[in-house]
Amino acid sequence: MKLHVHLSPDWVLDTDMREYPPREPVDFCIVGSGAGGGVLAERLARYGFSVVVLEAGPWHDSEHDMVSDEAGSGRLYWNDLRITGGTDPLELGANNSGRGVGGSTVHYAAFCPRLHPSDFRVRTLDGVAADWPLSYDELEPYYEQMEREYPVSGPAHWPWGKPHGYPYAPLEAGTAGQMLIAGCVKLGIRVAAGGPVAIPAGAVGKRPHCIMRGFCLLGCKVGAKSSIMVSHIPGAIEHGGEIRTGCMAYEVPVDAAGRAAGVRYFRTLADGQVVEEEQRARAVVVAGYAIETPRLLLNSKSSAFPDGLANSSGLVGKFLMAQAGPVVWGRFPDMIRQYKAPPACASTEAFYETDPRNDFVRGYSLQTVAPLPIAMAHLLTDEDGRFGESLLAAMQDYNHYAAIGVLGEILPDARNYVSIHPTAKDQYGIPTSYVHFNLFENDRRMMRAGIATAKTVLHAAGATETHSVNRYAHLVGTCRMGFTPDDSVLDRWGRTWDVPNLFVCDGSALPTQGSANPALTISALAARTADWLRRAVPAGALDSRPTPATGCAP
Amino acid sequence: MHHERYPGYHVLDQRGHWDDATRRVVLDRVHNVPPFRHLDAHQQATLIALCARVIPQDWRSAAQRVPIAPWIDATLDTAAHDGFRFDDMPPNREAWLWGLAGLDETARALHGAAFADLDGAAQDVVLETVRAGNPPGDTWQRLPAHRWWIYVALRQITGVYYAHPTAWDEIGFGGPAYPRGYFALNFGQPEPWEVREAPPTRERSAR
Repeated sequence: MKLHVHLSPDWVLDTDMREYPPREPVDFCIVGSGAGGGVLAERLARYGFSVVVLEAGPWHDSEHDMVSDEAGSGRLYWNDLRITGGTDPLELGANNSGRGVGGSTVHYAAFCPRLHPSDFRVRTLDGVAADWPLSYDELEPYYEQMEREYPVSGPAHWPWGKPHGYPYAPLEAGTAGQMLIAGCVKLGIRVAAGGPVAIPAGAVGKRPHCIMRGFCLLGCKVGAKSSIMVSHIPGAIEHGGEIRTGCMAYEVPVDAAGRAAGVRYFRTLADGQVVEEEQRARAVVVAGYAIETPRLLLNSKSSAFPDGLANSSGLVGKFLMAQAGPVVWGRFPDMIRQYKAPPACASTEAFYETDPRNDFVRGYSLQTVAPLPIAMAHLLTDEDGRFGESLLAAMQDYNHYAAIGVLGEILPDARNYVSIHPTAKDQYGIPTSYVHFNLFENDRRMMRAGIATAKTVLHAAGATETHSVNRYAHLVGTCRMGFTPDDSVLDRWGRTWDVPNLFVCDGSALPTQGSANPALTISALAARTADWLRRAVPAGALDSRPTPATGCAP
Repeated sequence: MHHERYPGYHVLDQRGHWDDATRRVVLDRVHNVPPFRHLDAHQQATLIALCARVIPQDWRSAAQRVPIAPWIDATLDTAAHDGFRFDDMPPNREAWLWGLAGLDETARALHGAAFADLDGAAQDVVLETVRAGNPPGDTWQRLPAHRWWIYVALRQITGVYYAHPTAWDEIGFGGPAYPRGYFALNFGQPEPWEVREAPPTRERSAR
């Protein structure tokens, strides 16, 4: 199939993409092309496997489809119907989803920190949440690979977690980012400028450097920001992978032996007609992120799997986590003009770890954010429901605001979950998801502390007034990895305990989330799984289900 | 009453520096306001009155005012407005139809007339009552008033208004910046084509 897609102004993906006939089994059918599925596809294609990626959304051509406009960018998001509830219902849509090649990395802010070593041992260290069935050290080489392949800009020495450096020089900060730095410095809080952010300071191949336009969250027209669409998808295609767009998966069928047989999906053709197809595959990878992945598994019911596929533990959809992301903003007497420069540029992880002086466990990061006008108006109206002259006056102060995002670790709890809504369906007629989210006491205390710290930092930088509104971002945890088929959905490689040739490769796999934006971790896990598959498939490992012995041995 | 903070700033003058796709989207928004297709005449009047209280524009000439209500009418044929629905809320279309009916019920209970027939001060009393979360009116028994106010009314009205270049001029936003990019990153300085903020008026510093 002939492709002609702009990835940056002077880089067109102009190639004949290989196409596979759906009725003939490929080695891997991957559902989703984001931080997990996109990296896995690139790796597996490079290792010589035949790979088809089913992507529900379209290509986002950087010249023709992406726009420098908040209200005009709805196509980037997963806007199919979902129902949200619980005591603290999550807003989905724009902020917490992506649709299209590259997934939500197309519109992420591109903060790409690593997890800390402690994140892998929260149960051991703090007596809550869960340990991971792998250690930081096992993931470290894949973090290093991803930081070079995205690539990621940042300081030569990063002092938090396990100290490390970044392969590209720090990115310049705008005035808004400088307020976080100034406040932290005044207070004696260690703070890092210029990363880790996946916007390389300098051109990379055919990707020019950042022009500081500040529209990262609406897709990067420059191609400077590292989305999976520019970092890994071209390689996946070059090595013979197929990215099949407009394909909405609705079922993973199983054969008589209880193995995944392929993926059934609705395909929207160029003329708008919708047809049903099934891609057969020797192995299936679900990489649709923390809502669509459990939804697909729970909707894949059969006599062998009456409660949904890979759900013998009953844990598919459970332990949904969002990161707490309160936005705290201050008004400064001087001009800030926060719309200039990428929102992601400076951060501190000084409050990341459990501190016995706190009344909560685990912690939070502080990061720069920079709401554009509509996002700013929504912060103001969410805060107190204001309207009329007081709203207009506050918005006229737009250029005097600088904002900090608290990014806090919410602990996994089985009472937070994704399930299938009893009646609601999406536009394809597929039963849709019900997303249920409650905050618990540790979460509330952590958020209060994070907001208080951010306000102190803004005041130290010179803000004369501060405000905050709660937000949530980065949904993970709904198909967790673990140690046994009873405590988890996946083994340590992302393989389901129940179905030997079925994998999950996205944020759903994370047992805990730390206070680090998850994209880099998801990609590193994908690269690690690919590395294992390269050896495991020829060795016949996918012929039988994992056991705690095989699933947990390195 | 309304203090102009960036006198002479007109971001649309920069449209020659924008890329084609962005220019098309923004100019379409400015020049092609959709006709009402879903609301009846009374509902239109109610919505227009609501928008005028949330975003007062009486200091602008009629031709300069940013139209808001027609864009909200245009969203009423989509089942899911922006990718999700709160489980205690109806779909977007019903949320608007019920909410507009609710405004009338509250207006009648408090002032004895339909919302659109009240003066601005009386309308604000109605809206403050909705904002507070427990307004009189049968509709509000099945439509959570505070949720409707924040997530339906304010989100969508401000979403339309602050998408318009006229609002960008008002707040000094630089607007689309590709392919040119930004030059002046430090100390909040303006680009050569941007306008410096006017010094605060006495009225403002007294606030």
